Amino acid sequence: MTTPAPARLIDFLGAFATGGLLTLMIWFNGTLAGYGTVLFASWVPHLTGTILAIVVLLFLRPPKASTQSPPWWAYLGGISGAVTVVLTSASMQSPLAVSGTIALGLTGQMIFSLAADKWGLLGLPQRDPTLRDGLALALILAGSVILIFFGGVA
Amino acid sequence: MIGFAAIAILGGVLVSLSRQINGRLSLSLSALHASYWNHLIGLIAVTAFGVVFGGLLTGDPWGAPWWAYLGGPIGFVFIAASSWAITRIGAAQTALLIIAGQMIFGVIVDVALGTSGNTVARIVGVALILAGMVIARATPQKGVDKAVGSD
Repeated sequence: MTTPAPARLIDFLGAFATGGLLTLMIWFNGTLAGYGTVLFASWVPHLTGTILAIVVLLFLRPPKASTQSPPWWAYLGGISGAVTVVLTSASMQSPLAVSGTIALGLTGQMIFSLAADKWGLLGLPQRDPTLRDGLALALILAGSVILIFFGGVA
Repeated sequence: MIGFAAIAILGGVLVSLSRQINGRLSLSLSALHASYWNHLIGLIAVTAFGVVFGGLLTGDPWGAPWWAYLGGPIGFVFIAASSWAITRIGAAQTALLIIAGQMIFGVIVDVALGTSGNTVARIVGVALILAGMVIARATPQKGVDKAVGSD
């Protein structure tokens, strides 16, 4: 297995811009859910995303990073994403509403990703989270909660 | 209520779990392959759920504005980019930057659309997030010398 390159500013800004894509996705898919069901609003982007993916793979033919086959479970990330839709739509209809669901979901993401780094879960590189990582996470979580509950972002 | 809170937290955990698994696939194949498999397997799972429990086509599913159907191509780029990022900057940094981007672009969209919201809260929220990003960026990279095997 190849050793990943150290983090560069481009990686950092790229990940930030990726979050902006998520804003668009939630906006588009949320609009769909207003006409059909939450399930439909997940089904359509999975379908159109798969179609685009096939086209991209056929045209770009990206090389495989390793000659070793990935473990079988590495193909199953999509199941986890699909179950998320079901869970969050149930939670959104509870007293937690959209804002509570998003705030708690962010908390769940933080907890899992810190654990994933600490123990190198599922075959990704192990990294010890630093105190600064924890502080950065706490600030971003605090800012997010303020935006979700008072700033209209939900 | 506690039960729903647990469900909401689990939803977030599954988002990160999915990103971790896709990141592992991108180490063997590529970030584009990882996004392809994520969408294909997710499509099968959502379709199966709809067939078993129903509710896939109730309501007025084809009545939405045309652009609302374009979340998929964005999602393809999103999954590829996050699979790429997680192998380079780690799960925690990827999560915090994606959340920061999601929130700050969310404020921009809200302001652009004239969505109601407290201006002071928006300024404080964005400032806290930007401060968190500066601190994250200042974190010395500890290297990835302990890369682990496939399983």
